[in-house]
Amino acid sequence: MLTRRTLLGAISALALLTAGGAASAQENYDIALISKGFQHQFWQAVKAGADKAAAELGVTVTFEGPESETQVDRQMDMLAAALSRNPDAIGFAALDSQAATPLLQQAKDAGIPVIAFDSGVDSDIPLTTATTDNVAAAALAADKMAELIGGEGKVAVVAHDQTSRTGIDRVDGFVNRIKENYPNIEVVSVQYGGGDQLQSTEITKSILLANPDLKGIFGANEGSAIGVANGKTELGSNIVVIGFDSGAAQKGMITSGVMNGAITQNPVGIGYETVAAAVKALKGEKLEPVIDTGFYYYDAATMADPEIAAVLYD
Amino acid sequence: MTETAIPAAKSGPRISGAFHRLLAFSGLIALVVVFSLASPNFMQTQNVLAILQATSVNGVLAIAATLVIITGGIDLSVGTLMTFCAVITGVVLTNLGLPLPLGILASILAGTFCGLVSGTIIAKLKVPPFIATLGMMLILKGLSLVISGTKPIYFNDTPGFNQIALGSAVGSVFPAVPVPNGVLVLFLVAGLAAFVLSKTALGRYTFALGSNEEAVRLSGVNVDRWKIAVYAVAGSICGVAGLLIASRLNSAQPALGQGYELDAIAAVVIGGTSLSGGRGTVVGTLIGALIISVLANGLRILSVAQEWQTVVTGCIIILAVYADILRRRTL
Amino acid sequence: MPSQATALSSGFDASVTPLVEMHDIDKAFPGVRALSHARFELRAGEVHALMGENGAGKSTLMKILSGVYTRDAGDVRLNGQSVEITSPRQAQDMGIGIIHQELALMRDLTAAQNIFIGREPRKAFLLDEAALNRNTQAIFDSMNLKLEPTVRVETLTIAKQQMVEIAKALSYQSRVLIMDEPTAALNDAEIAELFTIINRLKAEGVGIVYISHKMDEIKRISDRVTIMRDGEYVGTVPAMDTPMETIISMMVGRTLSNDALVIPNTSANPVALEVRGLNRGREIRDVSFSVRKGEILGLAGLMGAGRTEVARAIFGADPRESGEIWVNGNRVGISAPQDAVRAGIGYLSEDRKQFGLATGLDVRNNIALASLERFTGPGGVLNDRGMQDVAQKYITQLAIKTPSDTQEARLLSGGNQQKVVIAKWLLRDCDILIFDEPTRGIDVGAKAEIYKLLNALAEQGRAIIVISSELPEILRLSHRIAVMCEGRLTGVLPGGSSQEEIMRLATLRPSAVAETHSERRSA
Repeated sequence: MLTRRTLLGAISALALLTAGGAASAQENYDIALISKGFQHQFWQAVKAGADKAAAELGVTVTFEGPESETQVDRQMDMLAAALSRNPDAIGFAALDSQAATPLLQQAKDAGIPVIAFDSGVDSDIPLTTATTDNVAAAALAADKMAELIGGEGKVAVVAHDQTSRTGIDRVDGFVNRIKENYPNIEVVSVQYGGGDQLQSTEITKSILLANPDLKGIFGANEGSAIGVANGKTELGSNIVVIGFDSGAAQKGMITSGVMNGAITQNPVGIGYETVAAAVKALKGEKLEPVIDTGFYYYDAATMADPEIAAVLYD
Repeated sequence: MTETAIPAAKSGPRISGAFHRLLAFSGLIALVVVFSLASPNFMQTQNVLAILQATSVNGVLAIAATLVIITGGIDLSVGTLMTFCAVITGVVLTNLGLPLPLGILASILAGTFCGLVSGTIIAKLKVPPFIATLGMMLILKGLSLVISGTKPIYFNDTPGFNQIALGSAVGSVFPAVPVPNGVLVLFLVAGLAAFVLSKTALGRYTFALGSNEEAVRLSGVNVDRWKIAVYAVAGSICGVAGLLIASRLNSAQPALGQGYELDAIAAVVIGGTSLSGGRGTVVGTLIGALIISVLANGLRILSVAQEWQTVVTGCIIILAVYADILRRRTL
Repeated sequence: MPSQATALSSGFDASVTPLVEMHDIDKAFPGVRALSHARFELRAGEVHALMGENGAGKSTLMKILSGVYTRDAGDVRLNGQSVEITSPRQAQDMGIGIIHQELALMRDLTAAQNIFIGREPRKAFLLDEAALNRNTQAIFDSMNLKLEPTVRVETLTIAKQQMVEIAKALSYQSRVLIMDEPTAALNDAEIAELFTIINRLKAEGVGIVYISHKMDEIKRISDRVTIMRDGEYVGTVPAMDTPMETIISMMVGRTLSNDALVIPNTSANPVALEVRGLNRGREIRDVSFSVRKGEILGLAGLMGAGRTEVARAIFGADPRESGEIWVNGNRVGISAPQDAVRAGIGYLSEDRKQFGLATGLDVRNNIALASLERFTGPGGVLNDRGMQDVAQKYITQLAIKTPSDTQEARLLSGGNQQKVVIAKWLLRDCDILIFDEPTRGIDVGAKAEIYKLLNALAEQGRAIIVISSELPEILRLSHRIAVMCEGRLTGVLPGGSSQEEIMRLATLRPSAVAETHSERRSA
């Protein structure tokens, strides 16, 4: 008992410390961001953007997300706890829009403005959405793929999952662009590795072994892309690999030439714009319905460009 | 809640058993007090209901795991079995358009059937429970994706469905305390499980198997049959969890579920059930599940960084089990 | 096939159909022929002792009768009818009850729940706990056993657990009752109680199979004795009229020399181990004694006198409240078994399977278990070759009967398992060895070997403490005898003292009278 109590004392002290850290500005708005993930470098970059905005605008921001992007109910628990905290605004990236509707309604009733980010929320409650156009981003990947393989041959896609908006949009964006614009290119396989590097590696190897004449693979998120590149290295293949997002590993692979290039979103911008939009809303300013945070194609040659380097993360 | 340990035993260990539950319970109370003092938002009705809501699914899964763990086994498939049952309900209600009661029945039957399969593999084929349920975990995860076509199945055509977890029968009578139905379901399942453990032959054999399986066999009891029955009952409880989560999300999410078994097992262990079998209580598990969700919720309310939330939860699990070891040492 | 079959019906009217007849029973396990043409006969109202060395096939034969194993060949008749017994359940339904040698109880359940497991009284589909406890109380009453039906088995002593086992067998209204070493953990008073129950059952016409190694018990309680050796039937003799030596020679197939106790003069030897003022709660109260090199000190006392507790406290297996331990004239700090082992103290527990032996490991690894660092080469790689050599050395030296050093330890007989544990401590250079019930569950032939081994170890200059509940064993081995009663050392006697003298010290303080008379105590 004693130990447990001592520990709890330590926890609450820690809590006060953490909460007190950023609370120095005059407005001191409390903004809760509930994201789709947490550990992944992409989400950490979003968090970095949000923290940057928090520091510049003098507001307090908390950032939470479930351990995996399948844990819809855990995200609901996080949203419910955030609501109980009674924050000034909420930023939310829904894993499943429908499941979140009752809680979002609760936020609306309590007069708490909601800003959607990343994949957004299928609902009219959020005041705006700070996001990447994933369909267009994946279509750009398709264009680059076609260019690199010379406009004909077989390609494949290794994506993270079949249920999330980004997963669906990126696969659709890529596959549809190939179908519509490149009649000589065939997408022979679309497989899902849960965004797990190792699993994606295995998937890649099986695709390569099944299709020796494959020309290229598109890895639809960071984990998938690294997995694809690893699979290519392990089998000593020389296919074209186009990735998605950045991170130290992927950047290294592009530098070394294992990966030809990748699409990057602007995660730092997503985090920044979400917090900025929340502050605007709290100050009563008008917001556009969608804030496009942008995307770019980058490769070894363009990686150092200031415009690109600013949105890449480690 | 009823007493679920070995009933009517008047000897020392039972007193210390009660003491341990008291310990876990006081741990829970201490957490609540600390969080209440630290944040005025914590004890708000809405937040308390949020905590209970967050406990409902894990609590039901943990009760299923408790039964199996008391036999000295383990069930790693509770999480994905829950998902599988949710998907089956989705197929019955949305894809086939059958009425609500059939959907509920289908979920529970699917759970029972899968439990029967696990139990049979363990009892008849002598595959160790860890391996058998690990296999089932993956099989069910895959089947959920196959059956659902890898997409969530929504229950928009069954308007009453989300009332199973989100509606509030209590709230319609006492509007001040709109306890969600999901929480009632949790307590109902806990009550039934406690009753089965203490009052029925199945419960008696559950403890007996975990205590000394060979002795039970030598006593002429059909060990295999009862073991299968325990896994089947645990499966049916996972079916209830499937209904709860599907109703709460108003959809069957086929990719969800893996990892939930660990939270369930954590709740069981914090609640004082021995992983080596033979002893355990439903009340303890319920308290264990509440400790986990109070901790998660409270730390969030206090805006503790997520990394630290995980660290603290890990510490609490180890502390709780250490308390149990201390109790045994002073036996 | 031996030829003493005529003795089968000695003392009984051959025209009455026996309760049980077993003929030409064969049973093989992978690699072992457990039974070959074994036979047995049991009549109503008879106590029939089944004797033989460990591995002779007694337990296997009885497990076939009680449905735990199925026979490979042969004929089992119940009241003259051929029967197939395929499960314990079926055996119970036929009125055959068995009390297993290794207690088969569910520790987390209550006594009543254990007794009626599988046959719980029910109301509709619910358990009827009240009826359960009522029925159990009735059985306890009939046994004159003071025990709460609701007590959890875990909290009971081994002796009481044994009583619960017996109550369980009685609850089946068995007409055939098999008792496999029922008195192994009972004290004299409890044995007397058990025999009262056995005699009552006998009078009611129950046939009782009594497996035991204790010759005096066999003489006291049984009518006939069937002897087995190496899975085969040797003969059946009347218990009263057959000399003990005859039975033993039938068991071992040779006559055993009865070595007399020789007490060496060790008074000039240095003291190997000295214990000063050892205390722990009510179990150990101010115990002090010493053992010299080359000496065998017997530690006698009734069950619960605190002998095992003292040994465990010396070994660091349980904490002690106060007291000093001196080894070879140096005070040593022992707070855990590894400290004791470092000081050269080895402890051989009474429950080999639970504490002494890694039953799943082979003989070689069991012997090396406490000395692995000696066989660890660069990079932590074990020197298997060296382990093998050492294991072979001890297998020869201690005459461990095993096909090879890679045989799994659980497949050895009790006596040979004990030798493996001894080898483990010898390899670890333990010169002070504490033996807790070294011959428990070990048959007569192997017992003599263990005694010989203990004497040889003492002659080599090792200090030995032997804890035993069997007075003949204490008297047969000890150069000096320390006697304990209720946690206190009540006296130290010279070797060769009388049983009466030991019993006087072992019961020095009337145990029934509680703390009020504690001043009267003097040692």
